[in-house]
Amino acid sequence: MGSRYLLRRVATACFTIVMIVVLNFVLFRAMPGSPERILLGRMPGVTAEVLAQTRARWGLDKPLFPDQFVAYLNSTAQGDLGFSYAARGRPVTEVLAQHLGPTLLLFGLGEILAIVLGLTLGSYSGWKRGSPVDYVGNAISLILYSMPYFLLGMALLLIFSTGAGWFPTFGMLTAGATYDNPLDVALDLGGHLALPLATVALGLIGQYAILMRSSVVETLSEDYVTTARAMGFRDDRVLRRHALPNAMLPTVTLVAINLGYVVAGAITVEVVFNWPGLGTLTVDALASRDYPVLQGVFLLLSVAVVFANLGADLLYGVLDPRVRT
Amino acid sequence: MTAPAVPADGGPGAVARPAGRKPSVLRQVLARPDGMAGFVILVVFTVLALVPTLLVGPLQTAVTATGPRLAPPSIGYPLGTDELGRSILNLTVHATRVSMVIGFLATIVTVLIGAVLGIMSGFVGGRFDAVTMRIADFFLVIPTFVLAIILTAIIRDVVGTGSTEILGIRLSLITIVIVIGITSWSSTARIIRSQTLSLKERAFVDRARVIGAGGGHIMRRHVLPNVTNLIVANAVLVFAGAILTETTLAFVGLGDPFQPSWGQILDAARQVGAPSLGAWWYFVPAGVCIVLVVFAFTLLGNALDAVLNPKLQARR
Amino acid sequence: MRLSLRAKVARPVAALLLTALVLLPSALPASAADPLILRVGTGQKLATLNPWHSITVADYEIFQLQYEMLVSFGQNLEPVAGFADKWESSSDKMTHTFHIREGMVWSDGEPATCEDARWTYQFVLDAVASETGYVGSGYLEPYLMNAGLKSVTCTDPQTLVVATEFPTTLLTQAYVPILPKHIWSKYTMEQIGNADAKGFFANEPPVVGSGPYTAVQWEPGQFIRFARNDKYWGKRGVPDEIIFQTFSDPVSMVPALKSGELDYVRGIGADQFDALKTEPNIKTVEGFSNGYTYLSFNTRGNQKGYQGSTSALADVKFRDALGYAIDHQKLVDAVFNGHAVPGTTHVPPYHVKWHVEPATPRTFDIAEANRRLDAAGYARNAAGNRVDKEGKEIVLRLTWPDSEAGHSTDAQFIQGWFKELGIGVDAFVTEEAKLSADLLGPEAGGPANWDMYMWGWTGDPDPMSLLSFFTTDNIKSGTNDAFFSNARYDELFKLQQRATDEVQRHAYIDEMQQIFYDAAAYSILYYDSELHAYRTDKFGGWTSQPPDSGTPLFGYGYPGYLALTNAALASPSPSAAPSAAAPSASAGAATPAPSGGGTGTPASGDSGMLILLAVVAVVAVVVVGLVLARRRSGSSQEEE
Repeated sequence: MGSRYLLRRVATACFTIVMIVVLNFVLFRAMPGSPERILLGRMPGVTAEVLAQTRARWGLDKPLFPDQFVAYLNSTAQGDLGFSYAARGRPVTEVLAQHLGPTLLLFGLGEILAIVLGLTLGSYSGWKRGSPVDYVGNAISLILYSMPYFLLGMALLLIFSTGAGWFPTFGMLTAGATYDNPLDVALDLGGHLALPLATVALGLIGQYAILMRSSVVETLSEDYVTTARAMGFRDDRVLRRHALPNAMLPTVTLVAINLGYVVAGAITVEVVFNWPGLGTLTVDALASRDYPVLQGVFLLLSVAVVFANLGADLLYGVLDPRVRT
Repeated sequence: MTAPAVPADGGPGAVARPAGRKPSVLRQVLARPDGMAGFVILVVFTVLALVPTLLVGPLQTAVTATGPRLAPPSIGYPLGTDELGRSILNLTVHATRVSMVIGFLATIVTVLIGAVLGIMSGFVGGRFDAVTMRIADFFLVIPTFVLAIILTAIIRDVVGTGSTEILGIRLSLITIVIVIGITSWSSTARIIRSQTLSLKERAFVDRARVIGAGGGHIMRRHVLPNVTNLIVANAVLVFAGAILTETTLAFVGLGDPFQPSWGQILDAARQVGAPSLGAWWYFVPAGVCIVLVVFAFTLLGNALDAVLNPKLQARR
Repeated sequence: MRLSLRAKVARPVAALLLTALVLLPSALPASAADPLILRVGTGQKLATLNPWHSITVADYEIFQLQYEMLVSFGQNLEPVAGFADKWESSSDKMTHTFHIREGMVWSDGEPATCEDARWTYQFVLDAVASETGYVGSGYLEPYLMNAGLKSVTCTDPQTLVVATEFPTTLLTQAYVPILPKHIWSKYTMEQIGNADAKGFFANEPPVVGSGPYTAVQWEPGQFIRFARNDKYWGKRGVPDEIIFQTFSDPVSMVPALKSGELDYVRGIGADQFDALKTEPNIKTVEGFSNGYTYLSFNTRGNQKGYQGSTSALADVKFRDALGYAIDHQKLVDAVFNGHAVPGTTHVPPYHVKWHVEPATPRTFDIAEANRRLDAAGYARNAAGNRVDKEGKEIVLRLTWPDSEAGHSTDAQFIQGWFKELGIGVDAFVTEEAKLSADLLGPEAGGPANWDMYMWGWTGDPDPMSLLSFFTTDNIKSGTNDAFFSNARYDELFKLQQRATDEVQRHAYIDEMQQIFYDAAAYSILYYDSELHAYRTDKFGGWTSQPPDSGTPLFGYGYPGYLALTNAALASPSPSAAPSAAAPSASAGAATPAPSGGGTGTPASGDSGMLILLAVVAVVAVVVVGLVLARRRSGSSQEEE
């Protein structure tokens, strides 16, 4: 692909990241309440002097611009995102890293599962256009799409975990467990992963199914397909060679756009299943007013989405020859 | 929320248009099964939202509640009671008003910002366009939910949280309206801008320019009427998204127990432990309402889109 | 024959699903050497292993297991041997001698002597003398400073001598863990106390302690795992390991308890508590809580520098009248389904020795409240609303922090009741940090911009802390948020602090409670109860502390843990292996599989089987359908 395209995309991404960093700073200074009050809040014996001292120690008594802002830029550039209030001194980067893995696992797998299943369902639906299966499939897709993720999660939890007792009710791994071999780890993880994964996948399937169906229908009505059919080519081969690639482009875009909304789902699904990822971290940080962590999550997720979009753009450039220049 | 792609053939509900005089948009929409279904559901909910007190009496509070604690549905309490003895039917119907009004207000804010910025961007072009679209892209990229959580705290500080009401909605929930507006306007703006760009090239705009009409005038009198269809179709989907966002924000605790919305009822149910207690009547009604309304809006939005913008289907 | 894309995808996916469904629920083989683990669930964060940063009950519980206090707490909260096995005080109660147990060692083998205790207490003294006046979160120093700690020395390796500024008996209740000097003295006070200092000492596992268990694994924010300390001097605990697990949503602890994934939970909701009463193998316990929830008034009203909305707030008669319009019992019933105690004085009934009932209690009587308001000069205007002495309609703002969302129910009630008095209530939640800032008065540099608000306090084994909040000095620090100031109260505080005769001290504390109650600066809404539940099929010997009004765990010290017995040994059937309830011969028997010796009891095997069969059937239908469809299309192609 053209280097101009590449350059432009990367430049846009960088600019966006800069804006995110600035917004991060502004946002968290605008939050009500001051950090030293939050931390030292209801401690007996803390006087106004102590509070003032703490403020000074954290550099909060300096003016916002340029002192605090520069300090913030400086430390962020060095990868120092501050310390978590709630975690009594662990660096925010450490807290984020600890929670990132589970979220990636859950949503990575969920997204993949949703794409695979959704595209399959969608193509079947599109092929059988107009049939009852199509209607039902479409309706189910739309209903799933209309449901907030956490409702789905709560329902699954109720039926399969509390009700049938198949799956554990919380967490990612059994706490404090020791494993004899990797298979045990995989099984324990699998058992805990099943329901949240199902929730995430079901929540995302709808869009991919509708997308694929649309692409299939469009492709099947093209002239060259009629020709191909007349010439004896099989439908499914035509599907594979034309509908699927056509659906790829919007799918890639959809995945990238989705990332922003998946985050909302992430937060609620993780809360329902006590899944120790970024979502649970966000809600806990919100509840304990752990601003450095919230700030860190915001930064991390925004940057991740920017990179994902950049990746999608570049992928798009590879897939779609029209976009090369 | 993103709009699902409209199927190229107009979806499973498409019917061939009869030859002759084109029926009104409404009739076209209602002629489609998805349009009709969506419309009917929404009418029902609108009625519930407009006159809740007429239907179930005033909103029950902890003091005025008379029912047993967390009781399953019975003759006296068709949808059971919550932990304060309030009738879930009463709560859910009143929550309809709250959720729908918040959704409505949020949609107005979102569409207003989005349409104005979109039209201006598309029409004026140049630096203004570049900057505005940069900002819009920015909002599309950042995780708006986390932003919404943070913004709610900040804006509540500014707006206040007393029990004063605007249009029957407490200030704490007005904050939610503002927050949704701030975080959702970008896709509307982008869509409107596209349409404006294509309109700009149309002959009647040139003609208007030639006779000396000013930019504002052209935007108002010529561009606006032609994007209205698009705005309406988009607004319907924005409404659905607003309800989902408000529900999720309430679920993580940003609702107002003094003015419960569906999401707030779900949050209250979760806090009492309703799912593990088997008190399904507490959260199922609100959950069903949410799904139904969003589903209805999505159907309606699809139908509207197919009817109003047949040309745009190919582009999707 | 080439498979269509659909079939190519569908088959492996279906196969995967089926395999997963069959494999996942299989019970893992249990080896005979599985450790006996006590799993405890809490809604509080397990944020720190460094005791100086302890704030929550969970934090305290964690250090109590690992570190002895100088004097520990017995089953009845009586002083029992801890780090010291004998102690005595001089006749003037200002010199106290503690005999440190002989032959004690830390979990790493180092001898535990007087020097460790001396170092720990000296650390407190140094912290108080430092620039900030406290270290870490500052919760531990007051236990010693309120006892008047002056100096501490070791006359020999087994003898600790403590001198206090005034006569005191409170040293035996000092809730301060004795730390190993050889570990902790390597760090500066800055490194121990400041979480953001370079080289901050987080005290990560393996922790060196002297208590019955020490931490061996820590997943911050998730769980802490303790293993038995074989060098502990006392009785050997039955659990081999203890795991504390945090839940961001406490509601989900109950299903985990029912399924056997947890053995003990603290802090569950009232309705879940009641529902558990009928569960087999689960026992619930309601303990008196050492704390209360209160409604506070801005007793300076709208005086200069304070932004209360009306001068009425400053009038004790006004506040007293309002107290007759609060039905404490109703709040308890509505919010906790009866699982709390209606509030009266500010020393909770938990303190059996010190709590007294008010001499002139305020009962719930709207008519009486109205009478008193009329008598106090707050008449109603034409619209029926009360006006204050300046003629302004009285509308009181009522708020609470968003971290205590449950108060909205209390607020609804208060709003309804005050309405009958003709007083409007504007109720809303406020973000916690903002509320903390708004509450402060001008002495602390704040706006005092509030009328009424709700929050809670928790106490210590000794009521000293709860009493201390309302001294005039504490207006500056913010704990005396109601701006209550009474010279006699301040005097009494000093008197009871130095009282060595319990009867005398009781008299002082009695009077303090009456003064505070009559001033109506607070209306103590209720004393929240501790709602815990535990399984009886794995561990037995659950003993509450105190036995009839407390809870087995999360008390003071660690007697509850050492009292536990192995329930399996009591019954003939072995229960060390995961209980094999409901597995049937058919494939896919559903048993949750917590590994490592946990027991899993599936809720209902039969319905589970049905659902499994249904799912399998659906998947099978889909797969078959896809395959058939492909076949049909394939054959239709061939026909053309």
